[in-house]
Amino acid sequence: MAKNMARSDEQLPYWRRILNVSLPVDLSYIPIGLACGILLHASGFNIYMTALVSVLVFSGGAQFLIASLLATNAPMYSVVLMLFFLELRYALLGSSLSKYLHGKSLGFTTIFAASMNDENYAINYLKFSTDKNFTPRDALNVEHYTLAFWTVSNVIGSIIGSAITINLTVVHFALTALFLYMIVMQLKNGLIIFICIISGILAAICMAITKTTLGLVISTLIASFIGFALEATIRKNHPRSKILRSMKNPAGSPEDVKD
Amino acid sequence: MEWSTTQHFWLILACFAVAFLPRLLPLLFFRTREIPVWFNEWMTYVPVSLFTALVVKDLFINPSYQISIVDKTPELIAAVLVIAIAYWTRSMTISVVLGLAAVFILAMFF
Repeated sequence: MAKNMARSDEQLPYWRRILNVSLPVDLSYIPIGLACGILLHASGFNIYMTALVSVLVFSGGAQFLIASLLATNAPMYSVVLMLFFLELRYALLGSSLSKYLHGKSLGFTTIFAASMNDENYAINYLKFSTDKNFTPRDALNVEHYTLAFWTVSNVIGSIIGSAITINLTVVHFALTALFLYMIVMQLKNGLIIFICIISGILAAICMAITKTTLGLVISTLIASFIGFALEATIRKNHPRSKILRSMKNPAGSPEDVKD
Repeated sequence: MEWSTTQHFWLILACFAVAFLPRLLPLLFFRTREIPVWFNEWMTYVPVSLFTALVVKDLFINPSYQISIVDKTPELIAAVLVIAIAYWTRSMTISVVLGLAAVFILAMFF
């Protein structure tokens, strides 16, 4: 894919080059955006609210979560709090892209941050680290292409949801599958797998005790802290421990080009 | 409880605020500074812990917040499939679409 893009880059108009870069994400947003639009419609969002949330929040996981929490009658503070913890991971993405945005204006950075999410981050990070001619302006355009595909898919999903009746338990599994995928992408060593199991057990216990989604927030905080503390302890006492060694990625991982 | 469009609107604005600030603040702050190591290390574990908690909620917690797997057989089998597919393909779309197809088919048998 990358080779293909490099070869055809020269003669294509600018918008086609950006489209080519963003296309893998654009296409993946169509089925997921449709499912998300259907669920948002089922949870009571009208088409304008669906469009608005797609543009402003622009995060598959977050929008699925809003839909599923509204379906369980969660109070607003609980939805917002859950979302805060869900979106906290963007702090990490933002920090790792920040070195490529040195010298950019406050306005540019604000607009860039507003439409950054997991998938376009992955593309932009890869392009920044492997292509020296890739500018922040290009990265912003990649974000806006993916945003357009996402919003249109959500709106169409909302229309589909209002036109036909769909088995929601099946569509709802899109959220579970999305999170399972994101978990698998994070499993880089034995310690993370261990924390994963701990977090799962804690989540079940905390939710059974609190009887609200607040249990998720509590279990996330405890589990992530255990992970942080364990890593520090292991690094200090057994720096060569196997549990911290990176596992092989079956699909191969992209190599960073140092500049 | 049925929410009104106005309530949805305020919910979206609040969600926008909590979605936007974690994206903006580090980007602004770390444009000129180094990222603290403890922050990076802690952040390694937040997403994976939260995603796991959310999956556990979907698969093992019933709507009245009790631990239960009654009527969850299609989802549980599909979840194992999704993990395998995600591991081998590393593709979000293939994982989600095949996962949905698996639940759809399995739901006819269980």
